[in-house]
Amino acid sequence: MSLRRVFAILGKDLRDAFRDGRILVLLLLPIGMAVFYNATIQDEDELPTTKVAVVESAGGEVARELRTATGKSVELDLQRVPSTAAARKLVADGEVALAVVVGAAGGAGPARAQVLVARDASPTAQSVVALVPDALTRAAGRTPTAQTQVSGVAPADQKPYEILEPRSVTVLLVIVLLVAFVAMMVVPIQTAEELETGTFSALRLASTGPEVLAAKALAGFIYGLAGIGLTIVLTKLDVDDPLLFVGASLGLIASLVGFGLLLGLLVPNSNAINTYGAFFLIPFVGLAGAVFFVESGVLMTILDVLPFSQAARLLGDGLSAQKPFDAGLVSWLVIAGWALLGYVILARITSRREL
Amino acid sequence: MQVENLAKHYGDVHALDGVSLQAAAGEVFGLLGHNGAGKSTMIRILTGRARPTSGLATVLGHEVPRDLAAVRGQINLVAEIPNVYQRATARENLELFCTLYGLPKRRAAEVLEEVRLSKVAKRKVKTFSTGMRQRLLLARALLNTPRVLFMDEPTRGLDPQSARDLRQLVTRLAEEGATIFLTTHDMNEADELCARVAFLAEGRIVALDTPRALKLSLGAEAPEVDVVLDDGSELRLRLHEERDAARLQELVGEQRIRAVHSREPTLADVFIELAGRSLDGGDDDEAAA
Repeated sequence: MSLRRVFAILGKDLRDAFRDGRILVLLLLPIGMAVFYNATIQDEDELPTTKVAVVESAGGEVARELRTATGKSVELDLQRVPSTAAARKLVADGEVALAVVVGAAGGAGPARAQVLVARDASPTAQSVVALVPDALTRAAGRTPTAQTQVSGVAPADQKPYEILEPRSVTVLLVIVLLVAFVAMMVVPIQTAEELETGTFSALRLASTGPEVLAAKALAGFIYGLAGIGLTIVLTKLDVDDPLLFVGASLGLIASLVGFGLLLGLLVPNSNAINTYGAFFLIPFVGLAGAVFFVESGVLMTILDVLPFSQAARLLGDGLSAQKPFDAGLVSWLVIAGWALLGYVILARITSRREL
Repeated sequence: MQVENLAKHYGDVHALDGVSLQAAAGEVFGLLGHNGAGKSTMIRILTGRARPTSGLATVLGHEVPRDLAAVRGQINLVAEIPNVYQRATARENLELFCTLYGLPKRRAAEVLEEVRLSKVAKRKVKTFSTGMRQRLLLARALLNTPRVLFMDEPTRGLDPQSARDLRQLVTRLAEEGATIFLTTHDMNEADELCARVAFLAEGRIVALDTPRALKLSLGAEAPEVDVVLDDGSELRLRLHEERDAARLQELVGEQRIRAVHSREPTLADVFIELAGRSLDGGDDDEAAA
């Protein structure tokens, strides 16, 4: 296999995708959906917010370290103020829950710091107060005697959709839809069009069938990963375990692209795939969504053997440190099994049809 | 290029059934036959895109499709359909294939000049006329300066001027030493271009010779003349028939003949005689194959 030829065909496919309205719609529609749902859906359990005033003469190290120390347990609303008096007034007026005042170092002695706390401060604000010494130590460039990490702990009986919140679940499902569109519509449309117009045959004169198909599969991976990346950036989706999330995304693309190529070869009518593809795909994406609600029964068994649902579990685990599904080897094996099945059938069909 | 006892079966359909032929360097070889006769299957095998059921096909001394990699850069095809990328420009179409063949991209500009498409190099192919697309196909086929060029109905849909240009190009390529393997429905084209032609019917070669020899073979059996008489009427006389021969002698004796035209059989006549029907009476079952 010549990589030069594979990349030449890949480049042509990527360029052509930008000129084909059908492909652009299929790629941009899920991203648009993700942005829309992300903007309109409100999560039920927002992080507790604490307003903090900071007085510091340096470049904001204390504020930065305080934010680091609280981690994802508290949403800090930090406000820089010029003087201790101004900070005290804000606390007294109830505008902020607490104020951290850091004085300049005088002579050989250490800098002095002061924490002003409202007497009726909430437990969340009190927990932030407890983290102030840690933040000050780090801001001074020293290592605390013990590393403090604060993590929110969800109730034990929370369901996956409760852990991940509706906004994240929706964006996750749109990502699954995006991958399904790419692998089962975009890749087959581009493959089918090559067969329809005879350009596949022209490519075969100058390259091998596997080179042409490898280029199309690679294009699928690129569309998928670019689409997922763009979705995450635009929705500011909070990914806890990027490695797991990207791995699950790649796994889902890999498990479907073989079938996508197969579809393109067996149904050499790109408009038919474009028209009817979504009708067949949306139920499968619905099954991926079912993993957030179904816990047992026949449907659970069906979900256990489908790549969509297993990938949704892994993606869900990638979004939260709590690992709502605790999906592991079985999920990966199911995805790998579907990928293998797709490519084995593809190899048999291409051999039989002399492609 | 050599084919020995080549067969290709699609289930019960015998697209090719024991075909043997060869074409030398510098020769324009024509393969004529109805739709479904097996012409495209033959080209698919010779260009390495289909495996024969049995028999042997060699191109430039290499068995195809087994040793296709050895000849891929030295063969090319002008397809019957305009299989170019419609959303890409003419130049982009050719530059893709330059990369696939490992050629510098400036080669694209050279062949576009050769087929008179330089001025529209940056235009999307979907805006091209049929003739321009056909010329672009030809340009793509010339990119790698092929030693063997397959042409599947290359002048179909072309205007007379473009068709004549293409025929001149074919002749020039052959003079430069390329083997041209041509399939066509146009018997006059085959007669004009081909050093030898083979008639393919139902997967078998029913005749293979020079166009002149094929025509003579039929003409020798049934020479005919068209006679214009002094009153303007016309007669067609078959000289191998005793009665018509006597009638001609009679007319000569009576000095009633204004003009005599010998009527030589055309390649189409030979084909109908051998294959049983004319080329335009075929069906479209080749697509199914």
